[in-house]
Amino acid sequence: MTNLIPEKKGSSVMPNIDPIIHIDKQLCTGCRRCASVCPVDAITGEAGTPQSIDAHRCVICGQCIQACTAYAAESEPSLASRAEKLRQRGQVSSVREPLFAAYSTGHGLELKEALADPKRHKVVQCAPVIRVSLAEEFGLPFGTLTPGKMAAALRRLNFDRVYDTNFGADVTIMEEGSELIGRVMSGERLPMFTSCCPAWVKHAETTAPQLLEHLSSCKSPMQMIGALVKTYSAEVDGVDPADILSVAVMPCTCKKFEAGREEMNVDGHQEVDLVITTRELAQLIKDKGIDFINLPDEPFDSPLGKYSGAGTIFGATGGVMEAAIRTGYELMTHESIPNLQLDFIRGDEGIRTAAVQIGDLELKVAMVAGLKYVSSILEQVAEGTCPYHFIEVMACPEGCVSGGGQPKLLLETQRKSAYQARKSSIYRHDANQKVRKSHENPAIIKLYKDFLGEPLGHASHHLLHTKFISRSAKEELS
Amino acid sequence: MKRERPNSFVIAEAGKCIGCKACELACFAVHNQDNGVAASVGTITMPVLPRLYVIRSDSFAMPVQCRHCENAPCAGVCPVQAIRQEEGAILIDEDRCIGCKACAMACPFGAVSLYKSYGNGQEIEQPYLKEQQNGRLERKTRIIAYKCDLCRNIASAANTVSEETVTSVAVDQSGRLTENGGGSLPACVSVCPEQALTLVSPILGESRSRTAADVGSLRSLRL
Ligand code: SF4
Ligand code: SF4
Ligand code: SF4
Ligand code: SF4
Repeated sequence: MTNLIPEKKGSSVMPNIDPIIHIDKQLCTGCRRCASVCPVDAITGEAGTPQSIDAHRCVICGQCIQACTAYAAESEPSLASRAEKLRQRGQVSSVREPLFAAYSTGHGLELKEALADPKRHKVVQCAPVIRVSLAEEFGLPFGTLTPGKMAAALRRLNFDRVYDTNFGADVTIMEEGSELIGRVMSGERLPMFTSCCPAWVKHAETTAPQLLEHLSSCKSPMQMIGALVKTYSAEVDGVDPADILSVAVMPCTCKKFEAGREEMNVDGHQEVDLVITTRELAQLIKDKGIDFINLPDEPFDSPLGKYSGAGTIFGATGGVMEAAIRTGYELMTHESIPNLQLDFIRGDEGIRTAAVQIGDLELKVAMVAGLKYVSSILEQVAEGTCPYHFIEVMACPEGCVSGGGQPKLLLETQRKSAYQARKSSIYRHDANQKVRKSHENPAIIKLYKDFLGEPLGHASHHLLHTKFISRSAKEELS
Repeated sequence: MKRERPNSFVIAEAGKCIGCKACELACFAVHNQDNGVAASVGTITMPVLPRLYVIRSDSFAMPVQCRHCENAPCAGVCPVQAIRQEEGAILIDEDRCIGCKACAMACPFGAVSLYKSYGNGQEIEQPYLKEQQNGRLERKTRIIAYKCDLCRNIASAANTVSEETVTSVAVDQSGRLTENGGGSLPACVSVCPEQALTLVSPILGESRSRTAADVGSLRSLRL
C-alpha cells in the first residue's frame, strides 16, 4: 500500500496514516443514522452494533459527525475517562461539550502548543463560511456575521498575521476562470470540474481516476493561500518560510486530509501545516478565556486579507460558479456583466443546471451539491455525452455552510433553518462588498503585477496548480 | 367543577426505535436554555441530563419516561409536596425538591433520576451542607430529581433568550424549541427520526385512535 499521507513533522498527535473520521466503539449505539447521510456508503456494520468506516471509500466529509447523536452519558461510566478521550481526539482539555461517537481527529491541542512558540511566525487563514457560523458556538443566532470579531479573536490567540481564504478564492477564480476560457476555446478536456472541494477530489480519485483530467488543475483556495503565505507574504514580511506556521480554519474535516497531501508543498515547505475546524476554533477561543461576543471588530491583515464579494460566496453551493461567471464573462467579452446576482445558480441539495450567454458562447453549467448526485454526471462524462462546459461539485448537501467541521446542531429539526441563515448571511456579505468581482480586487491586481505575472503563467503553475492521483482500490492494494 | 381527563404522556414503539439518543439530546436542549444551551453543541457547558432514557437490550431499544400516572405514586411519597399535577401533567418543582429519592423509589417505571442542579451552566452549591473534599470542607452541590414534564414551563426558560434568537432557532410562541416553529410537540417527539415516539393526549380523538394499539386500556377512560 502506498503511503498516501506523509508523516507530519513535529506532530505528536497525528499518527502516520490518520483516517481523520472515527467512530468511538465505546459510544456508538449502532443506530446507523450516520450511514443514512454518508454519500459514499463508507459506513459498515450491523444495526445495533458499533459501526466502522471504510477509509478507502470515505471522503472525510464529516457529515456522519454532524448526524451522530450518541453521546457519552454522565451516568454510564465508559471505559476511558473523558480527559483521556479528549486527549485521544486531539482536543484541548477545557472542552465541555458532550463527546459523541462519531468524531474527527482534532488539532486544537497541537495548535495550542504551537501558538505558544515565540520563535515561529504564526499565520492563519479563515474560510469564507467561518464568519457566518462561528458565533453560533457562543449562543448567537444562526448565520450571525462576525468577520471582525473572528479576526480579533485570532489575534488574541497569538497569530502574527490574520489572512483570509476569501483572498485565495479570488485567486482561484483568476486561475480557474482563465483555465476554463482556455479549455472552452480549444474544446479540450471538457467538461471542466471545479477542484476546490477536497472531498469531491478524493471521491474522483477513488471512483473515477480515468476522468481526473477533467478536474481543474487549480489547488483549492486554502492551498493557494498556503503557497502564497510561504512565498509572497514571507517575502513581504521578510521572514524565512521555514519559520512560518501556516494554519487554516475550515468548515470541513477533509481539509485536514488535503493539507497533508504530499503534493501540497512549495519548495519543500508544507503549504498548510495545521487545519482546525470551526468548532475547534471556538474551543480554542473559550480555552483562552476570550469574551468573543464583546470583542471589537478588527480588520484582516494585508495583503492576503483583502477580498471581493465573489470570494465570499465560495461557501455556498453555486458560489464558485457564480464567482467564476462574474469574472469569466468580463474576461471573455471585455464588457461589464449586466447582472451581478446570478440567482438561478443559488440553491441547495441536488443538481442544478443553467445556460449563460457570454458573447457568442452559450456556456452550459451544472452545480452538484451532495456527492451522491455526482455519479450520473460522471457516467455521462465517461460516455462522452455530458452536455456541460463547467461543473461545480460540492460534497456537502448545501456546500461549505453544511460542512462536517461546522457547529453541530442539537436538534435535527433546525438543520434547514441553520443552513438557510448561514447561506443568506454569506450572500448578504457579498452584496455589501464594494468590490464584488475577483479581477477587480485591488490586492489581486497587485499580486499579479508584483508577483505572479499573469494567470496560468509560470509562477502560477509552480505555486497554484497541482496534479491529482488515482486512488482506485486496485492500485492502493498493490 | 373538576373535569376528570387522563393526563397526556409520551410513549415509544419499541420496534421502531433505533437507539440513536436524539430524543435524549433534544430533551436536554430545550430544558437548559437558561443554562446557556443554544442551538449548537458547543454552547453546552454541563453534562447532558435528559428527562428520558433510552434503554437497550440485545434485541431492542426504546426510551423510558414518566407516564404522568393518574394517581402518581411519586407525589404520594414526596415529603415536601414538590410534586404536583398541573394541566394534565405531573410536575416536579425543582426549587422545592430536597433530593430525598423517595419519588425515584416509588416510580414504577424508573422515570425519575437524581442529578446535580445547574444554573447558568454551573453547578449550584448548597448554602449549608458541606463535605470534606481535597482535604478541606466544601459546599456540597445541590442534587434534585429530574423527570419528564411534557416540555411544560419551557416558556419561562426561553424568556431569557433574545427576540432575535427566538426566531432564529424556531421557538414557538410559548418559547418551545419546535420542529418548524409552528406546533408544540414535545422535543423528543419532534426530533425522533423514526417517528417512534407519540404524544398520547387522551382527550384528542385523533391521537387516541392513532395509538389505539399501544394504549388500548385507555379506551375505558374515554370521557
Ligand atoms: S456513529 Fe453515531 S450515528 Fe453512527 S451508528 Fe454510531 S451512534 Fe449512530
Ligand atoms: S466522513 Fe463522509 S464519507 Fe466518510 S464516513 Fe462520514 S459521511 Fe461517509
Ligand atoms: S416530553 Fe419533553 S420533558 Fe418529557 S421526555 Fe420528552 S422532551 Fe423530555
Ligand atoms: S429519537 Fe427515536 S429512534 Fe432515537 S432513541 Fe429516541 S425514540 Fe429511539
